[in-house]
Amino acid sequence: MSENRTPFFVGYLSAPKGLRSFLLVSIVSMLLFFAGVGWLLATTQPDPGSAGFLPGRQTLIGVLENKPYPMLHVTEGSNRISTGTTVLLSGGGKRGVQSRGKDLEGAVVRISGQALARGDLQMIQLRGGMQGLADMSDTEAPGIDVEDLGKWRLQGEICDGKCLAGAMRPGTGLAHKACANLCLTGGVPPVFVSSQPVEGSEFLLVGNANGEPLTEQLLDYTALFVEAEGRIERRGSLLVFLMDPTTVRPLP
Amino acid sequence: MTAATLLTIAEYWLIIGAICAAVFLTFGIDRIDEDARGSYIFRPLLVPGVMLIWPLVLWRWQVLERERDNWKLRHLPERKAHTAIWSALCLVLPLIVLLGLAVRQTPPDGAPIKLEEAR
Repeated sequence: MSENRTPFFVGYLSAPKGLRSFLLVSIVSMLLFFAGVGWLLATTQPDPGSAGFLPGRQTLIGVLENKPYPMLHVTEGSNRISTGTTVLLSGGGKRGVQSRGKDLEGAVVRISGQALARGDLQMIQLRGGMQGLADMSDTEAPGIDVEDLGKWRLQGEICDGKCLAGAMRPGTGLAHKACANLCLTGGVPPVFVSSQPVEGSEFLLVGNANGEPLTEQLLDYTALFVEAEGRIERRGSLLVFLMDPTTVRPLP
Repeated sequence: MTAATLLTIAEYWLIIGAICAAVFLTFGIDRIDEDARGSYIFRPLLVPGVMLIWPLVLWRWQVLERERDNWKLRHLPERKAHTAIWSALCLVLPLIVLLGLAVRQTPPDGAPIKLEEAR
């Protein structure tokens, strides 16, 4: 049997002399290559922004509005969420809170939970049960200002409000589409992120032209850059985009 | 081809796979693998895999059953193809990444347009 002189690498033995140069070049090349690919991929991604959960539990009192999606017009704020703000509401995980507040439309409620924020978009992830949403309807509810801002054509992206507000980062973009659709299907409020601010805000809660939820018709258009038309209302401090789903079209 | 058709195909594929898994893991595996004889706990773990690749399982089963297996030659085609496949992947993978970057949407910068005044 002839002796095979080909150098052979064994992990637990010292490298054969004939392979050392090859191994050194390979290791350095691969380190440079993967570092380069990592840098290339990272630099081509958009900045995820500074959204996230705010520290501490927030307890707020305000007027509950369920349509198109649950929101609270805050009448007694906390140290992080000021009075007069309108916050979106969600449950734990990928769930909305439509069923919890359905009999409290327009009533004063006390809510408690974890706050999320991205810019002027704020959301409370409610605690479970009465600790998260308590009826205070014996308190007289103040009227909520609703201002019609006209009909608009906007460009931007339809996201789920919870991930966008910081439950996930980036919470936008095509890679997040499946998560966004699961959140929306679970009842999390959809939010339109406008390419440029509309009347001072780039985040608009989405509903249909009648002010009702619009989840099903949005699922094919989430996480894409789209153009859409509809009326915009300012309810409290929040803009609501009453979108006509027939006008939604993906941009090139 | 609609998504419903694809799901129907996948459904039938898995049904056939489940039948193959039941037969192979009950009778077949004892006939072709002497190490499996008398061992049963591991067999349910193989069910999902057999359901997915049942044609390959059936083909290997008949090869081993007829004693036509030549283990020395079995992996030769794949080993011979290694250089060509890895060379092709070196080109194809960067192309896929670059194509993905090229065809992705450009973030819009169009200003909001007011179509009607407030009522």
